[in-house]
Amino acid sequence: MFFDIHHRFPRFLQASLWLFSTALGMVLCGCNSEKIEFRSNQLHAASISMDLTPPDIRQLADRAKGATEQLLGTADLPTWPASVLPPIDMEKVVRSSGPVGRDQSKVERGLFRKHCVQCHGISGDGRGPSAALLAPYPRDFRRGSFKFKSTPIGKKPTHSDIVRTLEQGLPGTAMPAFGTLSDSKEFVDDVDALAHYVRFLAIRGEVERRLLVALSEQEVDESTSLAILTRVANDWLAADSHSVQRPEWVANPSEDGRMESVANGKALFESEWTACVKCHGVDGSGNGTSQDFDDWTKDWTIRAGIDPAHKSEWKSMKKYGALKPVIDRPRNLKLGALRGGTSRGDIYLRLVLGIEGSPMLPVAKKENGNPGLTEEDIRDLVEYVHFLSENTRNISLSQEVQHASSE
Amino acid sequence: MLPVNEDSSRWVYRWAMLVTLLTFPLIWLGGLVTTHDAGMAVPDWPGTFGYNLFLYPWSAWLYGPFDLFVEHGHRLLASLVGLLAICLCVVAYRNEKRTWVRNVCFLFLAAIISQGVLGGARVLLDARTAAMIHGCTGPLVFALGSFILMACSSDWRRATQDGSRIPVSRGLLRFSYLLVLMSIVQLFVGAQLRHAQPTWLPPFFTSIVHTHLLMATLITLSIFGICVLVRTDHNRRVMELRLPSNMLLIVVLAQVALGLATWVANYATPWVELTPWLANYTLQGKGFWESMIVTGHQATGSLLIVFSLWMVCRVATRTKKAEKAQPMINDTTIHQEKATELVAVGSTV
Repeated sequence: MFFDIHHRFPRFLQASLWLFSTALGMVLCGCNSEKIEFRSNQLHAASISMDLTPPDIRQLADRAKGATEQLLGTADLPTWPASVLPPIDMEKVVRSSGPVGRDQSKVERGLFRKHCVQCHGISGDGRGPSAALLAPYPRDFRRGSFKFKSTPIGKKPTHSDIVRTLEQGLPGTAMPAFGTLSDSKEFVDDVDALAHYVRFLAIRGEVERRLLVALSEQEVDESTSLAILTRVANDWLAADSHSVQRPEWVANPSEDGRMESVANGKALFESEWTACVKCHGVDGSGNGTSQDFDDWTKDWTIRAGIDPAHKSEWKSMKKYGALKPVIDRPRNLKLGALRGGTSRGDIYLRLVLGIEGSPMLPVAKKENGNPGLTEEDIRDLVEYVHFLSENTRNISLSQEVQHASSE
Repeated sequence: MLPVNEDSSRWVYRWAMLVTLLTFPLIWLGGLVTTHDAGMAVPDWPGTFGYNLFLYPWSAWLYGPFDLFVEHGHRLLASLVGLLAICLCVVAYRNEKRTWVRNVCFLFLAAIISQGVLGGARVLLDARTAAMIHGCTGPLVFALGSFILMACSSDWRRATQDGSRIPVSRGLLRFSYLLVLMSIVQLFVGAQLRHAQPTWLPPFFTSIVHTHLLMATLITLSIFGICVLVRTDHNRRVMELRLPSNMLLIVVLAQVALGLATWVANYATPWVELTPWLANYTLQGKGFWESMIVTGHQATGSLLIVFSLWMVCRVATRTKKAEKAQPMINDTTIHQEKATELVAVGSTV
């Protein structure tokens, strides 16, 4: 006998070894050895074809996935058809895809799986392993919609918009800042390559969605698929032309002048014209009466005739990958954590461009004879929101604002 | 039971101490490899970018990318621990009288070699599954090294030879065994979270997180239970149980704090609007402190297994005595024995 000296510890050790081998076997058997590939968009298939049976929905989603793969390759090796002008650098896309690791030339691959896949999922569907536990849920890239960008609602973000979010992160969320990676040239390249891959996933997801719609009506040939890809790619190619520059902001040099601007902004904030208080509340703490869902949720609920507020209705979509619908809460401006950026220039962009996919719409500008806010009004509103978000000064300055308002 | 020769075991003890002390930083480095997803930072094995492991230019190692630094460092330290484990076996073979201790030393060496092979398989097959198993078995190897240390310690000798006649309750022994078992299961569950496959669906990951939290609660309660048990009835007279129970308490409290911090470092807090600081806190991707917290949680988990084993050793060596001797010894007998010992010491002086 291996352990024949001490009558209790040998038994304990033997039990431990037995336990260890059993657990190891369980781990081996339980290991997920499936091939890593893009996940089909069953949720969208279900939302556009509610009358189909679950097997038919899965089949439809798989067909769209297969057609997309023929155009744009797999998760391990993305491709781009030669006949379509790419809005992305495919060399960087390939570098960001596939399994994590370095080759013999020490170039690192698999950046998306290293930094992003845990939350955003292998297809960029916002259904990574940890997604259900996060608030807010990770972004689903497949609609091609992004919140914090320099282009109007309905237009694609620019490459630098995505780089900006990657570098600065989103405060108060699980989206980290990869600014620390900018310390060396390799890491700057990494962030740039990741931004290209995020755009690739968004294009891929949107093409797949459009193919789903097309396939639900008729068979799709290669030329139709290419036409769909071309349309989506052109939208992305045009993104830079829609970009609005952050204004050079010259702060009012006098404190009195600034406070006057803040007071005007406060009046505008509380007016029915802007309707800010409807969501953000009178004091800007996000306690307004309007509570709504974001477009990513509405996409598979309201647009499919499902009430997201009733579990009995939306739970039927869980089997297709739906997560519990969550209210898109208006930002508490007093906390200062403005996810699109805290500078006056950032706030200006959010006001004039809105936040895509959320209930936050752009303010109406007075132009071409249409009623709305003047440039001066918008600047006053920016000053007030900026003032609110400087939370360390809230108490003292609020008294000054009241004083300025009364005067 | 064979007698333990103190002199012969001392060298084994020292070598086991050296190897065990080096195995802990090895666990840390392995944890950093996982945190930075650096398992494939060096694509070949056992060499490094075509070089012999030990001949890879140190400047390229130290001034290269961080993932390469961590992975190559992990391999170098693992090689050192392997070499020292061979020395431990030689020392044990020549000096250790107890056959089973020698066998455990050889088992330890085999485990370290197996770990190396498993690490190599992870690289050559590019398999995250192998990485997960490697991450699970690493702390168990560390625990095995620590067990050699415990078996060669003076406390073990005193408990098995001189014989503490104070009985320890079987409830405490059962609790201690249960704690070791739960710590190992928790290690496996945690390793699943650390090596989550990209294709996992959110409900599966969520269920593993909930299991991890449930196990953490059970382990914490068990340690509280052990701390109470060592201070009640006749267990309270066995002062040797205090240190491991106190250490367990410290480690589990640190581990719970690190666990919460790990969640925040990975996924932010769910209650961001509690304070402006939380609302404004932006996670740093692969940041230094984030990495240290996450890796520290994993390393402290392996310490929990080791301290649980330590508790088992101290309790089991004493429980056995109680079974063989009298089931219960009253206070008068203990006082009489202590008085006799004191007289004996006095006469020697």
